[in-house]
Amino acid sequence: MTSLQGNPVSNGIGVGPVIIYEPFSWETSQGEISPDETEDMVLRYQQAKQKAKKELERMIEAFSTTDPEKGKIFTAHLDVLFDEVMEEEILGLIQDDLTPPDRAVDEIYGAYIHLLEKTKDPLIRERAADLRDVRSRLLRCWAGKEEKNLSSLPKPVVVVAKDLFPSDTATLDREKVLAIVTEVGGATSHSAIIARSFEIPALLGVAGITERLQEDQTVIVDAVEGRLYCDPTPQEIEQYSRRREEYLLHMSQVKKYLNVEPVTPDGRRIEVELNIACATPQELAGAAYTDGVGLFRTEFLYMGRDRLPTEEEQFQVYRKVLEAFQGRPVTLRTLDIGGDKKLDCLALPKEENPFLGNRALRLCLSHPQMFKTQLRAALRASVYGNLWMMFPMVSSMEDIHQAKAAVQEAKNELEMEGIPYSEDMKLGVMIEIPAIALMADQIAKEVDFASIGSNDLCQYLTATDRMNPAVAEYYRSFHPAMFRLIGYAAQPFLSEGKEIGVCGEMGGDPLSAAVLIGLGITRLSMGASSVPHIKKLITGLSYERAKEIAQKVQHTALAQDVRRLLQEELQQLL
Amino acid sequence: MYTKTATVKNETGLHARPASEFIACAKQFKSKLLIKLLSSGEEVNAKSIVMLLSLGAGQGELVQISADGEDETQAVDTLVDLIHSGFGEL
Repeated sequence: MTSLQGNPVSNGIGVGPVIIYEPFSWETSQGEISPDETEDMVLRYQQAKQKAKKELERMIEAFSTTDPEKGKIFTAHLDVLFDEVMEEEILGLIQDDLTPPDRAVDEIYGAYIHLLEKTKDPLIRERAADLRDVRSRLLRCWAGKEEKNLSSLPKPVVVVAKDLFPSDTATLDREKVLAIVTEVGGATSHSAIIARSFEIPALLGVAGITERLQEDQTVIVDAVEGRLYCDPTPQEIEQYSRRREEYLLHMSQVKKYLNVEPVTPDGRRIEVELNIACATPQELAGAAYTDGVGLFRTEFLYMGRDRLPTEEEQFQVYRKVLEAFQGRPVTLRTLDIGGDKKLDCLALPKEENPFLGNRALRLCLSHPQMFKTQLRAALRASVYGNLWMMFPMVSSMEDIHQAKAAVQEAKNELEMEGIPYSEDMKLGVMIEIPAIALMADQIAKEVDFASIGSNDLCQYLTATDRMNPAVAEYYRSFHPAMFRLIGYAAQPFLSEGKEIGVCGEMGGDPLSAAVLIGLGITRLSMGASSVPHIKKLITGLSYERAKEIAQKVQHTALAQDVRRLLQEELQQLL
Repeated sequence: MYTKTATVKNETGLHARPASEFIACAKQFKSKLLIKLLSSGEEVNAKSIVMLLSLGAGQGELVQISADGEDETQAVDTLVDLIHSGFGEL
């Protein structure tokens, strides 16, 4: 079975007959128009423009109630259609150079498409597709042809095209499109965004595919693995059809759990929180179905720029996140840089062992001015919500004292300046260095909460550089020692009545999350895609059973046995 | 002729939706409007979406807006305020 690779921008599986979709294509008029024709030609050009405008307005109107976001694509097209600069140049070509209007449109749009495609910014490069779309619409209106699109298809099909214009994807008949395959297009293209919002499996960037396939030939689009199978056998078709059903069933089941309250069958409420980094609208949308932010990585504010972010810039971002989560905890982790993460705006000396070096809190303590800027920004933002501040890479009580002193100094400054901050802000630490885990009884008295960073904890506990592929097999997050240590560290916090959570990979993996719950952890923080899976686990796993599982795991010798045991025990809950 | 500078504050810069909002706002005025990216010195018609996109003014960039015409002061001040407002992204 011939298989081709593609970029699976919208996950899923589609099996069915191919329709090769070719948008309107044109050949522009040759030669020159005669000078006495110009007035008439300009008039016809304006009429074509009006027709294109009407089509766009109809589309905006149609989407205004169903999906205003898609309507915006066509509003943007109106801006392009009525662009002053292009208009002037097109009229110039018609009136002064006697260029036929269709060729004038083709040339001027072509020039600006070229200009936008040359820019460095991928978002702007994608906008060239909008110009192509408008050009095609305008030239079709000029040619007096009606719109041919994917809005009414005779049967369910796999749509194969060189590229799809935003207008093609926005109007396509979602009930009849099994999958989309194109030769060009990236993960941020309109086609990708719309395919995802329609939940249509889409494989983009499959080179030469329109030449290879024939109309009506049956293909398998595996937009999970990123493969296209061109001539499948009946058995393979059967197999993938089944896989498609399973996938759809699984997704619909999982999605049901997104908005469920995460309570175990025996009534233990687990807080399910989000890990966020960039404070994008998509990330903040997670506020609708989570209990807060368990890990707000602030590094992104410092990355890809040549100056450190100002206090004001940071304040604005922190405030935005706090407001989005409306009083639920937002756990802001102070700058965690060094080792694997470097900055352009801060020259750091090369270290032999960056993971054991001057990073995270250590780095902040050695750059007091930079640290204070962040602390002041966070304190100022604290009045807009429920801020928890957390320090990474804490190895001793001394570290905590120093960090607290830095916070106190920032508070004193703000007080002197009469700037308000919240007195209720909690202060906590990351538990990712074994030394601090072993000091948990002392630490639990000193801080308000702790969060276990399982990735670094595993690296430090097993002495395995997680960036070094040569030792990848030694990095075992199911190492029984991990669960023993986490249980040991969690206990004092639980008896002090203080919050203890997990924000590393382990929190978002249902297998390890089950053990964490059994160890008494009540806060799990994870990426948005893990939320429904973890909620499904919580609603099906009693605390009593989780405790039994956690006991077994801690008394198992091999990491691989731990994993197998968990897979067996939790089979029904994954 | 009236001129002012502004720093682009919003994360996406003058792209996509913010660019459309900027153009829609600019078109309300009669004056001839120009926007200049100070880092490159490039100056374009501030009422043209394609020119604004090609300018590629990202977050943190300094732009200069100038207008010539009967409503020049109001046009420049309004556009500068719009840029400083962060297009609802802040």
